[in-house]
Amino acid sequence: MSEATTTAETPRKKSAPISRLINVALDRTEPLVEWLIRLCGWSAILFVGAIFFFVFREAVPVLVGGGAEGDGQFDVQEFLTSQNWIPSPFKPADAQYGILALLLGSLAVTGLAMLLAVPLGLGAAVYISEFCTGRTKETLKIVIELLAAIPSIVWGFIGYMVLGPVLIELTGAPVGINLLNGGIILALMSVPVIVSVGEDALKAVPDSYREAAISLGASRWEIIYRVLFPAAKNGLLAAVLLGVGRAVGETMAVLMATGHAVQIPGSLLDPVRTLTATIAAELGDVVAGGTHYRVLFVIGLVLFAVTFVVNLTADLVVKGIRSEKAR
Amino acid sequence: MFRLRACAHDCPGRNGGDTDSHATLADAIRAIGSGASPAADGSRPGAGPPPVEILCCPRGGKCIPGKKPRHQFFVNARATGSGGDGSELAPWWGLPTAADELLRLHRAGELDLDAGQLLRLSHREVFTASSLETWKKTKETIAKYVFMTMALVLVIPVVAILAYILVKAWPVLSPSFVLDNPRDFMTTGGIWAPLVGTFFLVLISLLVAAPVGILAGVYLNEYARDNWFTRTINLAVVNLAGVPSIVHALFGVGAFVLFAGMGRSLLAASCTLAVMTLPVIITSTREALAAVPMSFREACWNMGASRWQTIRTIVLPNSISGILTGVILQVARAAGETAPILFTGAVFFTPVPDHGLASFVPYGLGDRCMALSMHLFTLATQVRGVSDELQYGTAAVLIGLVLVVNSLSIGLRVYLRSRKRW
Repeated sequence: MSEATTTAETPRKKSAPISRLINVALDRTEPLVEWLIRLCGWSAILFVGAIFFFVFREAVPVLVGGGAEGDGQFDVQEFLTSQNWIPSPFKPADAQYGILALLLGSLAVTGLAMLLAVPLGLGAAVYISEFCTGRTKETLKIVIELLAAIPSIVWGFIGYMVLGPVLIELTGAPVGINLLNGGIILALMSVPVIVSVGEDALKAVPDSYREAAISLGASRWEIIYRVLFPAAKNGLLAAVLLGVGRAVGETMAVLMATGHAVQIPGSLLDPVRTLTATIAAELGDVVAGGTHYRVLFVIGLVLFAVTFVVNLTADLVVKGIRSEKAR
Repeated sequence: MFRLRACAHDCPGRNGGDTDSHATLADAIRAIGSGASPAADGSRPGAGPPPVEILCCPRGGKCIPGKKPRHQFFVNARATGSGGDGSELAPWWGLPTAADELLRLHRAGELDLDAGQLLRLSHREVFTASSLETWKKTKETIAKYVFMTMALVLVIPVVAILAYILVKAWPVLSPSFVLDNPRDFMTTGGIWAPLVGTFFLVLISLLVAAPVGILAGVYLNEYARDNWFTRTINLAVVNLAGVPSIVHALFGVGAFVLFAGMGRSLLAASCTLAVMTLPVIITSTREALAAVPMSFREACWNMGASRWQTIRTIVLPNSISGILTGVILQVARAAGETAPILFTGAVFFTPVPDHGLASFVPYGLGDRCMALSMHLFTLATQVRGVSDELQYGTAAVLIGLVLVVNSLSIGLRVYLRSRKRW
């Protein structure tokens, strides 16, 4: 240990005594620092656990007890199958908490977004990975990266102020903020992750595959269609799943762009409401500890579970590729 | 296109008046072989001579040739000698060979032509593109442009929208817009208070998240062995990044506001943001550390340095810029988030001092604060009578802030790559 210290110090002879002292101090505290590093390393697990724990802690009284006396009833079956979401702040006893409409709203917006984002995102990934070279490639990647950086509140603002009026103009819909608006905005938001993960997946296909295909006389389209897609299908699937995860969990943008009406959407131009937007819109007005408040945490649990499963699947799919490649 | 006319066995005789008409198919083929046809000219440079077609016409009847030839053969009209099999890949060598082979096929009864049917003999040189190859090329070009359109469909509208926002915001963008506080129920004035609020939120979340995130990255890359526990940590990092922002908000309310007793405050909001941005820092730190070659560490260990000394003196200095990239990304993400701070510390409006030193530090750790992202939400949806310019101006400043910070990170990365010494 002391030898190690001298070795590290030798080239620093000219440095001021204070910095030497700091060096010595940093070396002496190695066991402490190592424990600190370990602790921080474990923090990710700690935080995921803590998120689940604290959200669950706030939700558990209604899950077990069914809600406070005279403050609205909570029933798991009604929660999952009823389409009546009527929190009723003035007559809490009459409140109904059914998330079916919200759940379908979330599904519809996410589905529409994926319908738009997956072909475009994967197409862009293929274009960037296989057709672009040099400066064009770098520029496109940077632009896509900047797309990812635009905050969700700005996307919501774009949907609310820019896209809404455009949709009214084009489709004659009574309101511009609706399912279609939310779908388009969410698609643009989830595209960057699809593009970047998809491009990584295509890049991960060994060049020897491409070379073998070229030597057999395949054109670039045939390489993409017959070689790259099958070889990278797990990575592309992971890209789609991560896009889904992003879209399901998005809050502010859908709050502003979807119109926020509790109903099961019948057409593209109906306003809808999602699970995330419901929490964001109502958590500010509820009494802490009341049934309504706790039900919002139950919705949070549902969201946590859904994104957890989606992300876990995406991760396993990616791991699947790695282990296959190692073989 | 040039056509020879000929008659099949069942319709002998000349079609009157046409100099290129021949009584029988065999005559027509011989005419090709004698070089009397324009196929031998090769007058058009580069493209090669046009194809020769033999059309079967019954006497006196009208001939309407079908689009697709009944028989398609290939000949390299410029070649001499004998060889090839008339297929696209191996055309016959020269017209005489082609005529001989065609006659042979004719005698064998393989060239059956009904009225209106065509026999086509196309010129093809061996190393030019075959029709299959041309089709493949076409498909490739189509694919390229389709994919390019897809990429552009993503990029162009967004760039256009951002430009539109900037144009709409232009009238209000001025130093006083940035430096003034919101006034008159936020219908006039500027964005100073929310801007400072965002600054402090980001700063404090950075102070919390950066050390933890960087050390976690160090642990994952330098200490962790490849076992189930490390895999669990990696999984946790991935999932932490995927947790919806509104769930982070619920966590912030449950853990920091209520459980830790911070109340709705700047500190609680910053802690929530810190947890949310932690995975960004962890992932990018780990990547930056992994980019430092193993030989650097091995050299250091050989000098007798311990693991921590190696990390401190070799690994971290060599990866500091990569780590900074991640930290900057965290800043951008934290600055733009709204949902996590909505219920943990941000408020629609809170009076702050207009002048003096206090206007630079208007919030204490326990105070509620305004934030730029929240301010945009408020202006757009909660307050009536806000002019469009004010909303677009706020949006433009927020976008500008985030994009500048991100460009910084990208610029740093590009600079790094150009300066890489190993």
